[in-house]
Amino acid sequence: MNSIKEFMACDKPDGYAEKLLSELRKANERLNAFNNITEHLADGMPFSVKDNICVKGVETTASSKILKGYIPAFNATAVQRMLDNGFSFLGKTNMDEFGFGSFGINSENPARNPFDESYAAGGSSSGAAVATSILKHHVAIAESTGGSISAPAAFCGVVGFTPTYGAISRYGLIDYANSLDKIGIMARSASDIKYVFGILNGPDAKDTTSLDIKYKSENKKSIILIDQLIKNIDKDVESNFMGFVDRIEGMGYVIKHRSMPFIDKAIPSYYIIAMAEASTNLAKYTGFKYGFKNEDFTSNYNKFFTDARSAFGTEAKRRIVLGTFVRSASVKDRYYSQALKLRALLLQELNKLLSEGFILSPTMPIKVPKLEDVKKLSALENYKMDVMTIPPNLCGLPHISFPYAYKNGMPLAAQLTTSHGNDNAALDFVQEWERSFKYKFKYNIGELR
Amino acid sequence: MDDSEFSRLLKICRIHLSEDERLAIKKDTNDILEYFNSLSEVSTKEVHEAYHPISVPEKIRSDVPLDFPDVPLLLKNTKTYRFYVVGPDI
Repeated sequence: MNSIKEFMACDKPDGYAEKLLSELRKANERLNAFNNITEHLADGMPFSVKDNICVKGVETTASSKILKGYIPAFNATAVQRMLDNGFSFLGKTNMDEFGFGSFGINSENPARNPFDESYAAGGSSSGAAVATSILKHHVAIAESTGGSISAPAAFCGVVGFTPTYGAISRYGLIDYANSLDKIGIMARSASDIKYVFGILNGPDAKDTTSLDIKYKSENKKSIILIDQLIKNIDKDVESNFMGFVDRIEGMGYVIKHRSMPFIDKAIPSYYIIAMAEASTNLAKYTGFKYGFKNEDFTSNYNKFFTDARSAFGTEAKRRIVLGTFVRSASVKDRYYSQALKLRALLLQELNKLLSEGFILSPTMPIKVPKLEDVKKLSALENYKMDVMTIPPNLCGLPHISFPYAYKNGMPLAAQLTTSHGNDNAALDFVQEWERSFKYKFKYNIGELR
Repeated sequence: MDDSEFSRLLKICRIHLSEDERLAIKKDTNDILEYFNSLSEVSTKEVHEAYHPISVPEKIRSDVPLDFPDVPLLLKNTKTYRFYVVGPDI
């Protein structure tokens, strides 16, 4: 059994929820997938929520010390729609602080890869991917700004879907970068994601950027490979990926190699925009709202504010500093405005390619790395790891990461990108792939026997 | 970015760094800005900024207060005096 509808309809054995919660808590002690787990699980299909999405009455911290103790008084629209459709809230998942990271290590207790705990889970939706990989019947509500769904989904061997920008309401999401943030879904199959996407998409009066469009499924049976993206990546990743492309060709797809102007400018453009927006969004954490940290109100405002902001982690501080700089008056045209113009050019070029077919690439340029190895990377080396995931995220294009092979016990994943509003085509493509490929998981917590 | 410019930036950001963090972040800042400078290789004279990746129709909502049912829960996140949020001196 793997469909949500079947799970919802079947009778669970006595004590099912209690057993699931107990096994999950035990696994969580090792894997750090959840920042908190509910005490009581209702009957519906369990869903987890990334810790930067508000759930009424449940501590929501975005894995940041500055939000410790913050209890939202409302549900995010995505959460409310899941509850209204019979899903059961399971818990809040771990993440890089405010979404700042590609490996899940910018959290007090980094999540660990369920295939091998010495490996990284990916980020920033690290906990959502681990939860999906260890729970048999579950979907994760996650969020991506520059690859935060694709990267962890790839490393943890699950399917991660990032829809068109604006497809799912962002009301109740703790903003990282407003022009880039997208709520998305992780699950163990594209069919489960398609079911949940049908529930979550649609306009919301509480989010003025939410879209009111019909989502298509147009498939031109062509696959575009952007040559610059596939060069200079890990050689094993490249050779395995090209073997996968052969299999796709065998499914009746025409493979086309293309080069794309400006693709090397996607990472700097993304980070400039993301940091500029993040530095303004994080200004609201003053230490006396969203959980108060300091009851000594006698010091002056600047000192109070500076002391409160010492609770940010190093990566958050780095992004505040850079984001503040790139939008300062003397350099704004050189950095921020130029990055916004590059986004326009990149979108134009990507749309040209997408008019021919889907864009396919490895999800990440490296194999799943060890935690100890990613901790040694410099900030810039970290950012460059997002080379595959940034172009669709920068341009708000729907994309999906899915496993296509296992090497040395770890998953390898590909990412498929399509045009705005053609979200269902990406999901249908992966459903087609799943007919001839069996996903592997090390844990099956909550399995119905 | 030299030391005094970096210090001024930290003051504007209201960010205090330990000595180790300061050394690391200052070096990262310069490396990253150098990487960002590669954008200037592209001529964008006739290009308009894309503030959003997709065109979002303009929506305006009425400027009227709405009832919020859980004000007590909301205020639990702050220090309050009567129905005021308490903050630092300005």
